[in-house]
Amino acid sequence: MSLERPTDRSDAVGVTEEGLDYDALADLLGDSVVSREQHRHTEAFTIRPDEVQDVLFALRDQAGFDHCSNVTAQEYEDRFETVYNLKKYVDPTQELSVVVPTSKDNPVSQSAEPVYRTADWHEREAYDLVGIQYEDHPDMRRILLPETWKGHPMGLDYNQEKPQIVTLEAHANPLEDDEHDAGADTMYLNIGPHHPATHGVLHIETVLDGEQVAHVEPDIGYLHRCEEQMAQQGTYRHEIMPYPDRWDYVSAGILNEWAYARTAEELTDLDVPDYAQVIRTMSAELCRIAAHMLAVGTFALDVYGEFTATFMYAFRDREVVENILEDLTGQRLMFNYLRLGGVAWDLPEPREDFFEKVRDFLDGLPHKLDEYHDLLTSNEIFQLRCANTGVLDAETAKQYGATGPVARASGVDYDIRRDDPYGYYPELDWDVVTAEEGDNYARVLCRLQEVEESARIIDQCVDLLEDWPEDDREIQSNVPRTLRPDDDAEIYRAVEGAKGELGIYIRSDGTDKPARFKIRSPAFSNLQTLPEIAVGEYVPDLIASLASLDIVLGEVDR
Amino acid sequence: MIGLLKSMATTMRHALDGSTFTVEYPDTAPEVSPRFRGVHKFSQERCIWCRQCENVCPNDTIQIVMDEQRNGEQYNLHIGQCIYCRLCEEVCPVDAILLTQNFEFTADTKDEFALNKEELKNVPWYKDIDPLEAREPDRGGWVGEGEGELDYQ
Amino acid sequence: MSVSEIVFQAGNATNGSGAANATNASAAGGGQTFPEILSGLLGLGPNPDPGLQFLFAIVGATLIAVLFLTIAAVGGIWGKRKITAAFTDRIAVNRVGPFGLLIIVADAVRLLSKEVIIPDAVDRPAFDIAPMVLPFSALLGFAVIPLGSGLQLADPETGFVFVFAASSLASLGLLMSGYSSNNKYSFLGGLRALAQNLAYEIPLVVTGASVVLFTGTLKLSEVVAVQSQPLLTIGGLTIPSWFAFVNPFAFVLFLIANLAEVGRNPFDTPEAPGELVAGYMTEYSGAYFVLLYLGEFLHIFLGGAIVATLFLGGPAGPVLPGLVWMVIKILAVYLFTQWMRSAMPRVRIDQMIEIGWKGLLVMSFANLVLTAILVGVIA
Repeated sequence: MSLERPTDRSDAVGVTEEGLDYDALADLLGDSVVSREQHRHTEAFTIRPDEVQDVLFALRDQAGFDHCSNVTAQEYEDRFETVYNLKKYVDPTQELSVVVPTSKDNPVSQSAEPVYRTADWHEREAYDLVGIQYEDHPDMRRILLPETWKGHPMGLDYNQEKPQIVTLEAHANPLEDDEHDAGADTMYLNIGPHHPATHGVLHIETVLDGEQVAHVEPDIGYLHRCEEQMAQQGTYRHEIMPYPDRWDYVSAGILNEWAYARTAEELTDLDVPDYAQVIRTMSAELCRIAAHMLAVGTFALDVYGEFTATFMYAFRDREVVENILEDLTGQRLMFNYLRLGGVAWDLPEPREDFFEKVRDFLDGLPHKLDEYHDLLTSNEIFQLRCANTGVLDAETAKQYGATGPVARASGVDYDIRRDDPYGYYPELDWDVVTAEEGDNYARVLCRLQEVEESARIIDQCVDLLEDWPEDDREIQSNVPRTLRPDDDAEIYRAVEGAKGELGIYIRSDGTDKPARFKIRSPAFSNLQTLPEIAVGEYVPDLIASLASLDIVLGEVDR
Repeated sequence: MIGLLKSMATTMRHALDGSTFTVEYPDTAPEVSPRFRGVHKFSQERCIWCRQCENVCPNDTIQIVMDEQRNGEQYNLHIGQCIYCRLCEEVCPVDAILLTQNFEFTADTKDEFALNKEELKNVPWYKDIDPLEAREPDRGGWVGEGEGELDYQ
Repeated sequence: MSVSEIVFQAGNATNGSGAANATNASAAGGGQTFPEILSGLLGLGPNPDPGLQFLFAIVGATLIAVLFLTIAAVGGIWGKRKITAAFTDRIAVNRVGPFGLLIIVADAVRLLSKEVIIPDAVDRPAFDIAPMVLPFSALLGFAVIPLGSGLQLADPETGFVFVFAASSLASLGLLMSGYSSNNKYSFLGGLRALAQNLAYEIPLVVTGASVVLFTGTLKLSEVVAVQSQPLLTIGGLTIPSWFAFVNPFAFVLFLIANLAEVGRNPFDTPEAPGELVAGYMTEYSGAYFVLLYLGEFLHIFLGGAIVATLFLGGPAGPVLPGLVWMVIKILAVYLFTQWMRSAMPRVRIDQMIEIGWKGLLVMSFANLVLTAILVGVIA
């Protein structure tokens, strides 16, 4: 629990004092590396599609790349390509991209699923949207689009004008008799898409053995809104920024915007003035508080029942944050406040009133948190319900690419704000909250403690802003009217969103719009752990575990 | 047991102090901050028909029709489709379009939300707040201005 | 002598306060049931012919049913919202009529005018009967409860047994509704309800039996009468020997078991909104839903009435008529269930069964033995 990064174990291949030695990594892989190229954030190795597993196993076991952060698939004029963005949980600045090209006529590539469990869903998405087949994949089905969908919408030859006509009969009938029902002692139960506890539209196919959960499969895609496609049709300078607010739409907007801002600024070499960084840091942490409040409130809702005081209290306290953010950004949820190279506005005038408002909130916060602890964490029945249920151990969490409070509650000390610093975080004094237990209780506790840490950050930001010299309040650097990054530049950058590592991969093609825009959503990876933590538990714990993962379907489905 | 009693005490305290955080809308109108972004207002007198707002709009909400001499004929904006990102106001060089604080709008059909330039002009101010003044204090305001006095054309 | 005066005299407290008065009143009430009072009023003597007795009983039953349906309407539709809102810092209904009270009318019209949707392949007779069994069983229980002011339909020697038997009929209704709905959520909810009622019925009755050890009778009017004796006097204030004061441990046990019996937090597993959608109620709509919903509230009120009768001195209380005190006590128990609903998380079904069989059952028997020893020592 400190800002000190955990000590680096450096027996892994390629780790040197100065950073990663890519030559050593290339030597480790030998002939498997077909070519090497430079991505904006790291080096990339191109490998053959039938050696994916060998290469990734070597990188994971000998070079220590235990975090498969993102998998991007894309189609070029002459080839398909899968890009695996690898990182290390101990030090996410040590990165490596592994590029796997496949031919146009036979787009088959070996699956990375045996190496990283998280690749399961990522590759299904790649298959669904782009059309690359993965060999050895345990479950090569569509994930976001319905089974009946024709074509792969992110492919180059996809006709977006052509309507998808599907007869009613062709759709799978969810009420149909299931094999689990016939003659077995188990019962098949659809939880969702319309169910009070699915936090949006999520369908969980559950098989029950009595009251116990024998099998769980989340079925996502009900809220798929083509966010990646939309971003690819917007210009870097203006048109993409309003959309990140709509990924994790429960008040984590500025955190999402920052993910795009960080990626695009690094891609186009934009500087951000310090003053703007402080404002960004403050507003982002306000968003984090609001998001965590909602997470705790809805968790209480799922553990308590329909009318819980905790939920309403959480909303009341969140409302205060929303009001502050409204004063600052002009909107309560869809902020659109960050701009490339800074923020849209300076603090509202009169500044003293604004500071007072924020300080009032911060002063009242400890008392409010005490209330939550009285209502939740110290309540014996709550402990009975949450302790030792939905346990996610650290190794499984890493395998699934879990990040954010979910991973930190499992003892994975991983926070991008500290480990891969951005904004004004390195200058401030705050701690990363972790817990060892990995159960539902630890996850809730982690969120409540993170609210405290966020409050500390905001407090320091307000101090800084109050004393900031008046003639140095530069809110935006000089940004060209049209941004055109270099042709074929690739970048993957991430920030610590409310739910975890929110990353964006962009490939530019020399125009003012991205050629490929891929969102690495933390909730997507976190939701993948649900079967691990819910199987064997009782139905109520399945619901509680789902709530403790704190997914937002807008972000899962994008 | 202590924890259970603490929970009960906390909720009872809230019940007894009688304070509520919900308001009786519309009897008590919620406070809207000066920067709030609501329905648009458009001034034909100011507009120079540069079409920047139409270009920047992320989801093609603004539609502008001009004749051969590049004189503006129509300015249509679908406030039901709009995502209220305020980019149109941000790029407008003459402050011809801006977003009022007015958030109270209803209609029976979607079509009624497609506003033309006359309807956009008649969108009322919310509590007489000048949006431009509130958002960027150094930029000139709208509210005090007489109707139709300015003519940039 | 006016009718109301007679009724008041027969029941409780026409004037004054204090235990002595209560003793008189209860003793008077203990003797006569409502049909007997009614026939006495009409000059027909204590034992008119059976047809008339039946008629008088029906009149009494109608009175009680109307009374509690009214309380259920006020408490269940309006009161519930107001109470929940108070706990959660909200305002709740306030637009329709004074304090929003007319929402009761509006809601009743809304609920009753909704279509009764019968899903495919439901088990028809059971599906239709279940919504009637639930409120019926609750109302049946009220027959033997001395509600004060002479309002007691029957006062059999086995009143105590009868009231528990009647209220546990509800389990049958819950099982029927859950099983017949052809819905997996209903099914789970119905089974949970049954398991829960089985597990908590025994502690409930056994704890109630500890009261019987004190009174030495199962007749509810006498249980009430015994409680009107003064327990002790502190500075001129006489505390009656309500069993909640005599044996607080049993009172707490009974309250907890009662919460489980009526399925309220922390024991609302059969309904479990958020897990099972609405449990056994999931497939019901329109008038059927109203009946189930009503039945649930009537059961809470019956639970409150039993608590009041066994532990809180029944209709006894100063100044106000006995019936009013009874209603106040019932509503107090109702308020308590709503309070728990706001403050308590729901326990898991396996934990709940464990608490029932391993915790509450053992404690209730321990309580019974302790009470027996205590009674033996006093005797």
